[in-house]
Amino acid sequence: MPFAAVAGYPRRRPSTSPAPVCVAFLAALGVLAGAGRAAAQVDLTGTWAPIFHEDQIERIPGPDIGDYAGLPINDAARLRADSWMSSLLTLPEHQCKPHPSTYGFRGVGNLRITADFDRATQAIVKLNTHIQWQEQRREIWMDGRPHPPEYAAHTWQGFSTGRWEGNVLVVTTTHLKAGWIRRNGLAISDRATMTERFIRHGNYLTHVYMIEDPVYLTEPLIKTNGFMLTLNPAMPPYPCRPAVEVPYEKGEVPHYLPGENPFLGDYAKKHNLPPALVRGGAETALPESIKPGFKPAQGTRPGTRAPRSGAPGPDAGETAGVKSMHVQGNVWMLVGDGVNAAAQIGDDGVLIVDTMTEAQADALIAEVRRIAPGKPIRWIINTHVHGDHTGGNAKVAEAGESIVGGNFAAQVGQAAANSAQIIAHENVMKRMVDPDGDARPATGLMLPTDTFFTGEHEIYFNGEAVQILHQPGAHTDGDVIVFFRKSDVVVAGDVFNTRTFPVIDGPGSLDGIVASLNHILDLTIPRDKQEGGTYVIPGHGRLTDEADVVDYRDMMTIIRDRLDAARKKGMTLAQVKAAGLLRDYEGRFGASEGAWTTDRFLEAAYR
Amino acid sequence: MRRTVLAAAMALSVTLAPGLLAQRGRGAGPAAPPTPRAAAPIDVTGYWVSIVNEDWRWRMVTPPKGDVASVPLNPEGIKAANSWDPATDGSCLAYGAAGLLRIPTRLHITWEDDRTLKIETDAGQQTRRLLFDRSQPVPARRTLQGHSVAEWEIPAAGRGAAQAPRTGSLKVSTTMMSGGWLRRNGVPYSENASLTEYFDRFPAPNGDEWLVVTTIVSDPRYLTQDFVTSTHFKKEPDGAKWSPAPCRS
Repeated sequence: MPFAAVAGYPRRRPSTSPAPVCVAFLAALGVLAGAGRAAAQVDLTGTWAPIFHEDQIERIPGPDIGDYAGLPINDAARLRADSWMSSLLTLPEHQCKPHPSTYGFRGVGNLRITADFDRATQAIVKLNTHIQWQEQRREIWMDGRPHPPEYAAHTWQGFSTGRWEGNVLVVTTTHLKAGWIRRNGLAISDRATMTERFIRHGNYLTHVYMIEDPVYLTEPLIKTNGFMLTLNPAMPPYPCRPAVEVPYEKGEVPHYLPGENPFLGDYAKKHNLPPALVRGGAETALPESIKPGFKPAQGTRPGTRAPRSGAPGPDAGETAGVKSMHVQGNVWMLVGDGVNAAAQIGDDGVLIVDTMTEAQADALIAEVRRIAPGKPIRWIINTHVHGDHTGGNAKVAEAGESIVGGNFAAQVGQAAANSAQIIAHENVMKRMVDPDGDARPATGLMLPTDTFFTGEHEIYFNGEAVQILHQPGAHTDGDVIVFFRKSDVVVAGDVFNTRTFPVIDGPGSLDGIVASLNHILDLTIPRDKQEGGTYVIPGHGRLTDEADVVDYRDMMTIIRDRLDAARKKGMTLAQVKAAGLLRDYEGRFGASEGAWTTDRFLEAAYR
Repeated sequence: MRRTVLAAAMALSVTLAPGLLAQRGRGAGPAAPPTPRAAAPIDVTGYWVSIVNEDWRWRMVTPPKGDVASVPLNPEGIKAANSWDPATDGSCLAYGAAGLLRIPTRLHITWEDDRTLKIETDAGQQTRRLLFDRSQPVPARRTLQGHSVAEWEIPAAGRGAAQAPRTGSLKVSTTMMSGGWLRRNGVPYSENASLTEYFDRFPAPNGDEWLVVTTIVSDPRYLTQDFVTSTHFKKEPDGAKWSPAPCRS
C-alpha cells in the first residue's frame, strides 16, 4: 500500500496543466522579490559510484562476527548481535531483503539520483534514489508534505522528506522497518529515524547520515559515505526469488543461545585488539578509549528507553477517536485508541472484524459510515473474546442489518434482520457466557450469532472468499485470523501485535503464538524484495507486511528456544527473570508498568 | 480575465523595481569586502573530538605492516608500505596534513587573526594554519603540514536566500607537504601529494554539533586514484578533555 493512500493524507501531483504566460511572469516576479522557499543551488542528479576508501572490508566482503567497535550500541543490541547466526539469511523469507536505507548507502552498486519536477513551477517535487543491489528505490519528497501517521506501514527505505539548507540536501526518514546498521547482526528497530545530509563538492558527494534509535542506540550513530560522479549509468536489474536452500524444520530460526556463540572472540584475537573495546559502546569511539586504564561502560548503560506501559488490557481504551486507512482491495484498517479493527467494504455491504470497546463503538460506526456511506453492516467477525475486540458488538450489530429468509428466518425470526450477524469460534461464545472471575456474562446482541468449532469457517462476501482460521491455544483458546483472499489482507487479531510481547491469556501459550505466526506466514506472499504484497493488520499497532511478521516470529521463536533451554537447565521463574533473557527485545516490546509487563509475559510463557 | 492578471502583474513589477534597485545601494561607493573571519558562513572554531566508528581497526590501533586495506596504492606505494619498520610506530610522519585528521584526536580550531584559521591537535601536538590571504608567499621548504590556502564556498544567493540561514563550506587546498603516512603503519603519501579538504558543520536533531571533513588526497607517486575519506568530529563545550601527547620526531 503506498503511503499516499492513507485516508485524508494530502497528495500533491505534479501539475499537468499548461502554464499561462501571465502565471510564468508572476512566478518570475516572485523570484525577483525573494519570495518562496529557498531553492537548491546544486544538482545532485546523476549516477554516483561509491568510494570504498573507508570500511572497505566491512562493506564489501563483510564484517567480522562480534565487531561492534566504535558503535554507540547498548547492551540489548549487543545481546541481539551475539545471538545472530548468519544461517538466518538462508531462510526463504530472509533471502530477498534489501538493505534498509539506514545501511544501503554503504553497500555495493551505483547510486542513481533523479528528480521529478512540477511542470508548471519547475520546482522539484521529489528526488528518487536507486541503489543497484536488491534495487533499493527510495522517494524523497520535496513538496512539504507531512509524514504518514504512526499506524501506516513501514518499509525498508522508509518515508523521506527533504529540504535544502543552502547547497545541502537534508533528508528526514521515518517509517523504517526493523533493520540493521552492520551486517553482523547489529540491529536497529522500527522506531529508528534517520537524518541525512547530501553535500556535493565538485564531482564528489559526501553522504552523512545520523540514525537515532531509542531501542538499540545510546546516542545517534553518525556515519559518512563518499561517492564520485560517474559517466557510466549502468544500473542492471536485481530480481530476487527466494528458494529453499537448507531444509529446516517448519518455523526453525537459526540463532545462538546466550553465551553459546563460539565466534565472538575471534575478531579481537585475529587482530590483537582489546576485547572490551571490540564489544562497542559510545565510549569506544573516543580517542581516550585506547589509552591504558580506560574501561568502557558496556552493559551498565541503559538504552534511552523510558519505562513504558504495556498494551491496554481487555477493557481499556475509553476515548472515542477512530481513524481509518485503506489497505488494499476491499479492506480498510480501523484504528482506535490502542486497538485495531478492520472493515471489508463492497456492493454487498460491510463486514467488520472486531468491534473495539463499547466506548469506541459509536466512533467506529461513524467512521464506517463515513468510508462506506449508505452501505449496511452485514457481518461482524470476532477474532477473540477480549473486550477491546468485542466490547462494541452490541452497538455495531444493532447499527447493521442482515438478510434473513427461508428456513433461517423460521429459526431466528425476522427480527434478526435488524442487526448484523456475529461470527466467532465457539470458545469465544463459551467464555462470553461463562467468563472468568467476577465479569458479568454477555447477553443479547453482545453474543455471537454464528459459531463454529472446526479449524476453519468461510464465507463469500463482497466478491471475495473470506477464510476464518482458528488458532488453537495461542493468545486465548478462541482466536481466529481472518484472510481476505482477493484483497490479500490478513486480520490477525491479538496473535500478532506490534506493540508488546504477545498477551497470553488462560489456555493460550507461547507455542501457540509461534504456530499462529507461522500460520500467518503461510498465507502471506510479499510483492517484491520482502515488502508489500499481503498486508497484515495486527490486533494492536501499525499496519504490517510479511517482513514485519517474520521479525516478530523470529523474536518469539528465539525467546521460546531460550525458555526451553532454561527449562532443561531446571531454572526457576525467578532465575529466568533475573537472567535477562529478553533484554535484547525488551526495549522494543517490553514494559515495566501497565497491564502487560515483561514479567507478566514471562510468567505466562514460562510455565 | 487573463488580460487583467497580466496587467496587474506588470503594474506590480513597476512598483517593485525601484525598491529592488535601492537594495543594491544605488549611489553608494564600493564597500570594503568583509574579512574572511567576518564573512564566515559557518563557525568551525572550538573544541572538536574524533568519533571513530569508521576504519576503527586501522585508526585506533596501529595496524600490522602491510595492512593497506581500502587505500588505492599503486605497486610503488605497496612496496613502500611493506618496507615500514614497526619500531617507528608513533612517528610524526603519521601526523602530517594528509593523515592528521584520521588520527583519533581532539581539534582546537581558532582564528589566529582575521585571515588565518589555526587547527591544533592534542594527538601528536600538531598545528596547521589555513591562510585565507592568497598573497602570502608559498614557502620554499616543504613541511609536515604543508602550505594550506583556505576559502569559503558560499552558495549563490537564490530564491528565498534572504530568509535562509547562512550556509557554506570551508575549502582548504594544501601543497608543499614533506610526505608522510596515511595510516600509522606507514601507508605512504609522497611530497608530490596535494590535499583538498572541505569542512562542513551542521547540527544533529539531538542538538549535537558536528564537523565533517571530506579529504581528497592526490598523489601521483603512490596512489592509483584520489584517496577520499570523510571524517566526523563532535563539538565539545570546552577544552576540559584536551590531552596533549607529542609524536616521535
